[in-house]
Amino acid sequence: MDILVCVKRVPDTAENEISVNGSGTDIERDDLVYSVNEWDNYAVEEAIQIRDKVGGSVTVISVGDSESEEVLRREMAMGADKGILISDGAFEGSDGKGLAVILKTAIEKDKYDLIFTGAQADDGAGQVGGMLAAMLDLPYASLVNFIEVSDDKKIKIGREIAGGQQEIDEIDLPCVLSIQTGINEPRYVGIRGIRKVASVEIPVLGASDLGIDQGLVGSAAAKVSRVDYFMPALGKGAEILEGSIEEKADKLIELLKSKGGIK
Amino acid sequence: MAQLLADRRDVDFVLHEQFQIADLSKHEKYAEFNKKTVDLIVSEARNLAIKEILPTRPLGDKEGCRFENGKVSVPESYHKIYGLIKEGEWIAMSDDPEYGGQGMPHTVAAAATDYLVAANHSFAMYGGLCHGAGKLVEEFGTDKQIKMFLKKMYSGEWCGTMLLTEPEAGSDVGALTTSAKKNDDGTYSITGNKIFISGGEQNLTENIIHPVLARIEGAPAGTAGISLFLVPKIWVNDDGTLGEPNDVVCTGIEEKMGMHGNATCSLALGGKGKCRGLLLGEENKGMKVMFLMMNDARLQVGLQGLTCASPSYLYALDYAKQRVQGKHLLKAMDESAAGVPIIQHPDVRRQLMIMKSSVESMRSLIYFVSYCFDIIHITDNEEEKAKRQGLVDLLTPIVKGYITDRAFEICSHAVQIYGGYGYVTEYPVEQYLRDCRITMIYEGTNGIQGMDFLGRKLGMNKGKPFQDLVGEISNDIASAKNIKGLENLAGNLEKSLNKFVELAKHIGSSARSPKVLSAFAYAHPFLEVTGDVVAAWMLLWRALVAAPKLEKLAGTGPERFAKIEKDKNAAFYEGQIKSAEFFINTVLPVTSGKMDAIFGLSSAAVDIPEVSFSG
Repeated sequence: MDILVCVKRVPDTAENEISVNGSGTDIERDDLVYSVNEWDNYAVEEAIQIRDKVGGSVTVISVGDSESEEVLRREMAMGADKGILISDGAFEGSDGKGLAVILKTAIEKDKYDLIFTGAQADDGAGQVGGMLAAMLDLPYASLVNFIEVSDDKKIKIGREIAGGQQEIDEIDLPCVLSIQTGINEPRYVGIRGIRKVASVEIPVLGASDLGIDQGLVGSAAAKVSRVDYFMPALGKGAEILEGSIEEKADKLIELLKSKGGIK
Repeated sequence: MAQLLADRRDVDFVLHEQFQIADLSKHEKYAEFNKKTVDLIVSEARNLAIKEILPTRPLGDKEGCRFENGKVSVPESYHKIYGLIKEGEWIAMSDDPEYGGQGMPHTVAAAATDYLVAANHSFAMYGGLCHGAGKLVEEFGTDKQIKMFLKKMYSGEWCGTMLLTEPEAGSDVGALTTSAKKNDDGTYSITGNKIFISGGEQNLTENIIHPVLARIEGAPAGTAGISLFLVPKIWVNDDGTLGEPNDVVCTGIEEKMGMHGNATCSLALGGKGKCRGLLLGEENKGMKVMFLMMNDARLQVGLQGLTCASPSYLYALDYAKQRVQGKHLLKAMDESAAGVPIIQHPDVRRQLMIMKSSVESMRSLIYFVSYCFDIIHITDNEEEKAKRQGLVDLLTPIVKGYITDRAFEICSHAVQIYGGYGYVTEYPVEQYLRDCRITMIYEGTNGIQGMDFLGRKLGMNKGKPFQDLVGEISNDIASAKNIKGLENLAGNLEKSLNKFVELAKHIGSSARSPKVLSAFAYAHPFLEVTGDVVAAWMLLWRALVAAPKLEKLAGTGPERFAKIEKDKNAAFYEGQIKSAEFFINTVLPVTSGKMDAIFGLSSAAVDIPEVSFSG
């Protein structure tokens, strides 16, 4: 099974103090430490596990600047077979639809049975997966937390729905799935994996390589733009539980029971 | 909240700007380790440290190790992370790939270790001991022993220890009584009792390989008659498979001040007369072999000191920025003035600057020693190789003794900055203080490090390594004199260096005179002032790297302050210059006073009758 996973380079929330910039339109991005988007990392792990079970390949693809190569290399050190970087100044400022157009064009250059995106990105809106599926005219399932490969025509997928209920669907291949965290436990990257990809060349494709209509991408084509960005004011009603861990746990259980959270 | 183990910007500064570590990849041996690879390794070590290992630090501290019926259980949470460490092959990072190592530069391994040990010191000891014991097998084992043991030790499948200490043989290793008798099959029967054995028994690995110091029957007394043996917990057959359990019994574990997650064991060898061992190296040359492990272990302990100090500083800094207490000193009389974060109070800033400058100098010194190892491994220039080895030998007691002394002081400052909260277990800094304390004791107490430095290292090779060190420092002083803004710092360090060189001659000659006892009573203070001068050098070196970059980013005029406020890189470089300024102008004058005391060589500590120590 040939699987493509879309990955994104995002600010690492474990490493940075995130603050809003002076104009309130974005976070301060100077000198931030970046890493792979957490949801995408789960998707790569799932792809690797499927490949190891039924054979095939895992390709990771990212749209971004030249620095995005580091997350592709990282996911290849984790076990992906191939990386593709889509990078061009013309793509800067693309909205979700623009990104979906770029990915669609790149994906159509090859043939994949499964296409994964993360359910959302730390700094995204969770919209690319759905739009990509529509543009590729492929079936789509979102927030997937379980995958079982039955044959090369169909797979079973699970989704968590309201109230903690689980739903199982069957979906035709090829398809696009947006992957939820918790679907697996992503492996850590070991030194041997890093050494293995140290000298691997990662191809970089630009707008002309892909033959993209530049009128459909970039800031000029974007129909969604961010107008404000701020930390919400602190609300009221928070209660800090005091006491030992056991006492706090008891109080929490009482509270959850009284509010109907648990029976 | 950003992670608080090691400042990534600082780690990257030392790796890439102070030592330009990626240049090592120009050499065939390190060709794989280009900048991208180095950065990925450090990122992944950090990732593993923060997400998986750090959460086990307080758990291991509270749960501790359990001893039941001769078996030791480590904290439950350690099993998963030990599996991850093994899986990622983080145990033998810089060792030969032929034996299961990863062949990376020592400096990069130091950066990865910076995170991995800071996340949980007591846990990291298990993997560290696998590596240390494995290194002995690699260096001194026969081909057969290498085949039997090494890959399993470097992979972490089997762990290692070091069995030196006995109830009456602690710092005085030569007094040990564990004996060995050669058997007809070439093995040795070992009998004796060892104490304070880190990881001597645990349930992480199916086998433990104990390097044991023992005296073969009839061998000379003292260290000249000591041999080293490999004693597996479970016997290893010639084909590498496991045999019968060996006669090695854990008789108890210590209840300690800190490091609760690491089992400190008492072991009885040959209680039933059936403990077998294999000679490692030659008979009666065990101390030479063990010193290889010991020197490596001493450098690792220095790194452990850094890994206690670095998070302590970062936690204290974070707390000082958030904790609002008291008004700004300049508004103390203004009743309407609001409280300010305690980082605005001068005394808190003073403590933070001691911590900042010390942590930075420690990191640079440890990476510098690692960098010397890397150069030793790749250079064809024998003179350069000998020079770098001399610097490593000379600086080993400084790394171990000076850094761990300072590290404990930094942990204490962190507790102080937290105030009462620092003393309670809900906050992380008290555990760092407790865990750090052992680093001043094990692998040769810091008093012994002082004696090693004065007695062995100072005059080693007719003083050539010492002269090389002074030469390296002088070179950077000369460079700094040409950098605007660093001239005075260079001048002040030069004065201290000149005085220090005179002091070295004075105490060195005193140690070879009737004043020998007084000289050795000052061995530790001499180690301390040496460390201060070396730390000041490291900070001046950092400032030398930072100053031109700061000028480029922020200029030299009054506009620079506004740019420093806005540009994180400029702020970092300014911080480098301030660290050097603080340390050279605040700590070195105290060092000068300490040097005066050493010049005086008061004999009071030597002369006082034992009966006069108490009433």
